[in-house]
Amino acid sequence: MENLTMLLGGFSVVLTMQNILVTLLGAVLGLIVGAMPGIGSLAGVALLLPLTYKFNPTTAIIMLGSLYYANMYGGAFSAILLNIPGDSPAVMTALDGYPMATKRNRPGQALFTSNMSSFIGGLIGMFILTFTGPALANLGLKFGPAEMTALLLVAMTSIGWLVGENPIKGVLLTLVGILIASMGMDTLTGSPRFDFGNMYLLGGIPFTPFVIGTVGFSQVLKLMGERNKKVEANLSQKLTIRGSMLTLHDIKRLLPPAIRSGFLGTFVGVLPGAGATTGSFMGYAMQKAFKSEEELGSGAIEGIAACEAANNAAAAGSFAPLLALGIPGSGTGAVLLGGLMMWGLNPGPLLFTNQPEFCWGLIASLFLANLLTLVIALGIIPFLIKILTVPIKILIPCITVICIVGSYSTSNSMYGVLVMFFSGLFGYILDKNGYSTAPMLLAFVLAPLLESNMRKSFISSHGSLDIFFRKPISAFLILVLFAIILTPVIKFVIRKVRSSTKSV
Amino acid sequence: MKKFAIVLAFAVLLAFPVFAAAQAEVAGPASFVPTKNIEWYVTSSPGGGSDIFTRNLMDIMVSDKLVNDQNIVIQYKTDGAGEVGRLLVSNIKAGSQADHTLLTFNSGDLMPMAKNTNNRFENFQPIAHLAVDKHLIFVGEGSAYKNFEEVIAALKAGKNITLAGSKGDDIACHAALIKELGVSEDQFAYIAHDASSGAITAILGNHYDLLICKPAAASQYVEAGKIKPILALSTSRFPGNLSSAPTLKELGYKNVEVPNWRSVVGPKSMSAEAVAYWSDVFKQVSTTDAWTKGYIEKQKLVPEFMDHNVFKAYGTQFQAEYLASIGKDK
Amino acid sequence: MEKRKITSKVLIPVCSALIAVVFITMGYFKYGFWHSAKGPLPGFFPVIIGTILLLVSVLSFISSFKEEGTSYPWENWYPALGAVAVMLATLVIGMLPSLAIFVVVWLKWYEKYSWKTTLIVFAIIMGIVLGAFVFWLGVPFPKGFIYEMIAY
Repeated sequence: MENLTMLLGGFSVVLTMQNILVTLLGAVLGLIVGAMPGIGSLAGVALLLPLTYKFNPTTAIIMLGSLYYANMYGGAFSAILLNIPGDSPAVMTALDGYPMATKRNRPGQALFTSNMSSFIGGLIGMFILTFTGPALANLGLKFGPAEMTALLLVAMTSIGWLVGENPIKGVLLTLVGILIASMGMDTLTGSPRFDFGNMYLLGGIPFTPFVIGTVGFSQVLKLMGERNKKVEANLSQKLTIRGSMLTLHDIKRLLPPAIRSGFLGTFVGVLPGAGATTGSFMGYAMQKAFKSEEELGSGAIEGIAACEAANNAAAAGSFAPLLALGIPGSGTGAVLLGGLMMWGLNPGPLLFTNQPEFCWGLIASLFLANLLTLVIALGIIPFLIKILTVPIKILIPCITVICIVGSYSTSNSMYGVLVMFFSGLFGYILDKNGYSTAPMLLAFVLAPLLESNMRKSFISSHGSLDIFFRKPISAFLILVLFAIILTPVIKFVIRKVRSSTKSV
Repeated sequence: MKKFAIVLAFAVLLAFPVFAAAQAEVAGPASFVPTKNIEWYVTSSPGGGSDIFTRNLMDIMVSDKLVNDQNIVIQYKTDGAGEVGRLLVSNIKAGSQADHTLLTFNSGDLMPMAKNTNNRFENFQPIAHLAVDKHLIFVGEGSAYKNFEEVIAALKAGKNITLAGSKGDDIACHAALIKELGVSEDQFAYIAHDASSGAITAILGNHYDLLICKPAAASQYVEAGKIKPILALSTSRFPGNLSSAPTLKELGYKNVEVPNWRSVVGPKSMSAEAVAYWSDVFKQVSTTDAWTKGYIEKQKLVPEFMDHNVFKAYGTQFQAEYLASIGKDK
Repeated sequence: MEKRKITSKVLIPVCSALIAVVFITMGYFKYGFWHSAKGPLPGFFPVIIGTILLLVSVLSFISSFKEEGTSYPWENWYPALGAVAVMLATLVIGMLPSLAIFVVVWLKWYEKYSWKTTLIVFAIIMGIVLGAFVFWLGVPFPKGFIYEMIAY
């Protein structure tokens, strides 16, 4: 209960006119930054950091915290309406969000689903953060390289659920994704790898332009063939907030995946090196293991709910190691940490003890930001879905411009545009031939984490495998891994045996 | 098409006199003051050590009106692990732009650059060397070792030790340390992380034996009793809460240090007047309270100002020694 | 089914097999596979993944002949050509003017919209780019070599 009192204390810090206004501003800016491809929370927070020097630290972090947090909402907008993920966690949202908006003609409901799930996921994450805070961060510490390797292996099996109807094609692209991700600097030895002597490849293939290309730009090429269809006639729902409401049945479908993902996402957010993107990927993959009313990938509410709830929960969860230990869980966290130092605070294990007002104020502001962002996000749905009434003919050059501008902005260089362009071409050709790119993107995110953790484990165990079995958490996870791999095999064998006994 | 060609031709024609004028302007007057936006390149991500260093300098330069009321625009160029941004700055041609371009440059940037590319320190114009960061070795709460003597004893007994740290200068420190201790890399293994925070996380979770990092990153954890300094990789002990760690000399070895210096450079083509101007600006910044108290003391750095001439000699020698140490000298 | 044509369906596994071979050879010979004390070296992971990719590519190659090829209408490549034109023009006149010209040319001359529609769309999209990316976020877009020549 002590934590609850502290949280109430936090609210008394936050609920001043100035702080509420600042939260509101952060929420609006976060939504915009999130919705724009290429500019993620990292750039948004980094660019706003200098503006906040004039504020007192609590106000400043409240603004940045709510910006970071609202960003997770905004990424879904462009993913659902244009099939271009506004930020990397929204890649998975596009899988079901875009079909739900266009094929099922329920854009309002798709946005509503995404906003509600974000809210629920975030709320779960924040409650866990409030009640377990430092303990949660300590749980994250238990995950060293061996534990992370085992966990990531388990996570990688979820790619199996994503590969779709043609497993060979799915696996092929997954492997290509892993190889592409291995290009660039090898952190463990500090030496370049597969850079082919090219200065740009030294830093590897940047993820954001890669996603904008494979998902967004390839979409533009695909749309060219369909651009003469009349869109207006298709849009049956009314462009109002009422017309976008979810039915009771929809809400029933939304809740279980959102709640599950809320817990999973919080946990992923706390882990070292994993962020909101990993969270949303894993939330979506987990949903594959549960029943969805409509098939995932065809515009299912469950799909949107699972990943949106997970990424917001991860964003909330990542504040636990940041506040309790001064460890940033993501690039954005690192910038926030840099900000704390600039404002004269010392982030670290003593922050909670030395600056309780600041910490609890920040946590309280997350609750406030979550609520305000939800209200704003729901309120702008009617305006947002008007985008779908714009003829495709007009959207094509506009999306092309946004793809170019967005991919340029990720690293302020034409290299990003080139990566976007070529991955767009490949994405289009692959799509034409029935390859789904989602497992490739998942592998691109997870494989480097897996590789570096695995190699770190081997270095510390001197090349021996026993490190994975010596530690209880990793031993348990390895058992889970075997169970996941063996279950289908055993099922298959049982079925074979049964059918053979029947036929005999 | 034809029209476009004509417009293009005109533009080129128009550009020439301006171009020439810009050249003349640089060569003519003896003193230089900034007359337009200053572009300041940073080749690591926002929020990191280089970014904080740059922003502190920038804030003081703007608030103390040292830049003729011009704006400073920070450009993050992180492509190719920063090499692209460094190459870009080193290639800027002489002219007004060259005089308005700065680059934050650390030994942590120099080492991978010299190791992995053909770009060299000589391709830049050194401006000012401002501060030095040195390293310490720490143990976590649950570590099997209490001090560095125990570590040395364990190594002599043939035990394997793992050391976690960041990239660049941390790796160079480890290499120098094992050379001095006379142990192999296999026995005293180094595990590189993307940033010091990753290594600290691993040590707090007790996943490795030792941690190497710079004082600023570790200080808070030392204060909280989460980690303990056991060795100073410097020629003297550190001040404050880090003073309990002895130097290697006290343990009967030669001191080992690989300083991570923080500096500012410009394009090679920067005019002599501009170099003198900037070098002087940074000298002024380095004497302000905002710098010594607000940055150096807080980040636990060693202040060490060198003007462009001294820094040029120092940096060139540093690079030569580094290249020799990795066997890349011709 | 009448004859086995070389389609993109067949080419994709061929390409992925080539990628696999490059990563395996470079990984094994250049970056190293396994070290007795350090365990996996930089080449370890890529070599393993590359080997599996090679096998999967072969499987995919065999099954690709059973599938029908797809066609690529010329029209679908136009946005790509547009993007190439923008990238090239960026080198000369800078990115923002190139994008502006691209939007107007596309809507007015390719899609044959009225000037009114063209200009409204133009204003909105440039408003987003200028307002958000340029003024607020301060992204330094490339200005092309004509500008550079004047500025330097």
